[in-house]
Amino acid sequence: MDMSQYKALFLSESREYLRTIAEQVVALEQSPGERSAVDALFRGAHSLKGMAASMEYGDVVVVAHSMEDLMARVRDGAVPFIADVADLLLEGVDLIDVLLQDVEQERPSTLPTGDYAQRLAIYTPAPPKAPPAVPKAGSADHAEPQGPAATNAVPAPHSATSSAAADAAPPAAAEAEKAKEPAGEAGGTVRVKTELLDHLINLTGELVTNKQRLLTIAGELASPPLNDAISETAKLLRSLHDEVMKVRLMPFEAISDRFQRSVRSVAKKSGKEILFELTGREIGLDRGMLEQLVDPLNHILRNAVDHGIEESGERERAGKPARGTVCLAVTRDRDRIQITVRDDGRGMEPATMIAAAVAKGILTPEEGELLSPRQALMLSCIPGFSTAKEVTDLSGRGVGMDAVNAAIQKLGGTLGIESEPGVGTTITLRLPLTIAIIHALVVQVGQVKAAIPVNAVQRTVELSRRQIETMGKRQIFQLDGEAIPLLSLNRVLGLPLGRFPDGILPLFVTEARGRRVGIVVDRLLGQHELFVKQLGRPLSKLAGVAGGATLGDGEIVAILDLAGLL
Amino acid sequence: MTAERLLLFSAARQLFALNLQEVCEVMEPQQCYPFAGAPPHYQGLINFHGNLTALVDLAGYLRLQGRPVPGKILVIDTRLAHLALKVEAVGSILDASSITGASSHEDPLTEALLETPQGSVRLLRLEALLNGLEEELQECAPNNAKPGGS
Repeated sequence: MDMSQYKALFLSESREYLRTIAEQVVALEQSPGERSAVDALFRGAHSLKGMAASMEYGDVVVVAHSMEDLMARVRDGAVPFIADVADLLLEGVDLIDVLLQDVEQERPSTLPTGDYAQRLAIYTPAPPKAPPAVPKAGSADHAEPQGPAATNAVPAPHSATSSAAADAAPPAAAEAEKAKEPAGEAGGTVRVKTELLDHLINLTGELVTNKQRLLTIAGELASPPLNDAISETAKLLRSLHDEVMKVRLMPFEAISDRFQRSVRSVAKKSGKEILFELTGREIGLDRGMLEQLVDPLNHILRNAVDHGIEESGERERAGKPARGTVCLAVTRDRDRIQITVRDDGRGMEPATMIAAAVAKGILTPEEGELLSPRQALMLSCIPGFSTAKEVTDLSGRGVGMDAVNAAIQKLGGTLGIESEPGVGTTITLRLPLTIAIIHALVVQVGQVKAAIPVNAVQRTVELSRRQIETMGKRQIFQLDGEAIPLLSLNRVLGLPLGRFPDGILPLFVTEARGRRVGIVVDRLLGQHELFVKQLGRPLSKLAGVAGGATLGDGEIVAILDLAGLL
Repeated sequence: MTAERLLLFSAARQLFALNLQEVCEVMEPQQCYPFAGAPPHYQGLINFHGNLTALVDLAGYLRLQGRPVPGKILVIDTRLAHLALKVEAVGSILDASSITGASSHEDPLTEALLETPQGSVRLLRLEALLNGLEEELQECAPNNAKPGGS
């Protein structure tokens, strides 16, 4: 029987199970007594095995079967759920993940499952308070993943060797039937290809663009009935847009297991005790945005563990619990998503940040004095800026937060840092619900129109020449008691500079490298609702451009990525 | 070596060809909208069935002296790129069987120099063209912002 038509479904469901297993492993490590999590883990491995058996993917069956057996022993109380067990299960998750990639690419397995099944089968935890074990000759290659227990290992009753696939593959149909059990979503739901969702949002975006065209024409015709019809169409379009966007939303938990594992891994390597709390995993985000959040969030979390949280001893001396806490929280407020990463570590000292920036020549001492504490903390987002005393392989190379900030800005979001020395640091990402349809400020620079997402625009200003001051080599103006440097967008883009014969300079204020700057343009053309389109090859390589959009009159504008430009 | 059918076209008085499967449409010149930050042979963006597509003057990219003619636009298959090439004229579709000779060419953009009933034709290597355009864009990052508002 040709099973290829079921492959996509198998891959999709298997990856969901893998995510669940990885999440449950980390959750169980923090609450080992959670019976429901043990059951869920067992069921996940069992279902995965059944699905793989029905598709005849033997390697996946072997690994999943071993995990299921180990969890059965945990469930029966024969093995406690300790860190070694978690490591073995997560190793299995990684193994299956690679095997699934091979299945997807229709290539032979690139990663041999090796002795994984055997190691799980013979796994026995080290007895508590046992004297240091003497390694047996020939067992050294197993020592690391198994810990001391490996040296005392005895074969478990569940022998899972190379014959496991055969053992684990009872009638395929029955296994496949069992595999459906936990899905539990058959009532009123259906799986849809992501390409179809992309097509739907594309069509909706085109309708938004056409609505703008109709508005332009209606303005020229001055026809009340036409205006009414367009107004009604606009309302319907808004509803359609909202519904389509809901379909594109995926829960944050689609990526959250990676963060749990990332925190766990850094904590282990740095020898720190960390309590990781995650809230808001059910909050939906645009699926186009989710993947792009993985790297920035991973970096922030790794920083929090590696640099934010102190060693246990230092924490205790400061009157804190030995175990540090890192919280990742996702919340939604209407059409905005807020993601915060909060740690109760050593915090950041604004004065230290300023001193480091001055020492690196990023700021003059005079400029440093003008910075508010918030601005000082944002210095960490300047490329190459790092106050980490040690560069580790975990984080702290001074190339991270600027990339994080740029990635968030590219998504139309903003990054904020709050910190209190000795108490902890909170990094807040504010993001739009969708990256497909945005509001943007359209500006004229030379012969070119360009759009800037309004999230990046703090305010617009029409500045008289006499309000411009010179500070050193810089031209600045005063806004809310703050000296704001001026930059010309024409100059940044390599276009002829504006003339401004009436002596008024239009500009918008944005934040670049942690500081507010005034970006002078030739004209401010107003705010537009734009459907963002990717530019594809070759323009996707053009720095400083996040995409393109069509205005109501059919004109095409590039959407600028200020973080990439400034 | 070559595809079964090639699309012949001209730029700067030279004959070129692309694999017909790499071209999805030949269009008359249409409104295009300039954008900043790219080299001058990027004439702007055009809207091709909803895809925002970069329009590149092929002669300009190849550093050849083009002619001021309205020309034609070759839209590259949208599955491969969002790119359209401004050329001077589009000729016939050439069947591979009518190629009488082929030789290599030192230009990495040229897959082969073909001898055809229409004359000598440079068969372009689309992937090399795309890579070249992308490398060029990466090299022309925007000007560093400097102080001064006007």
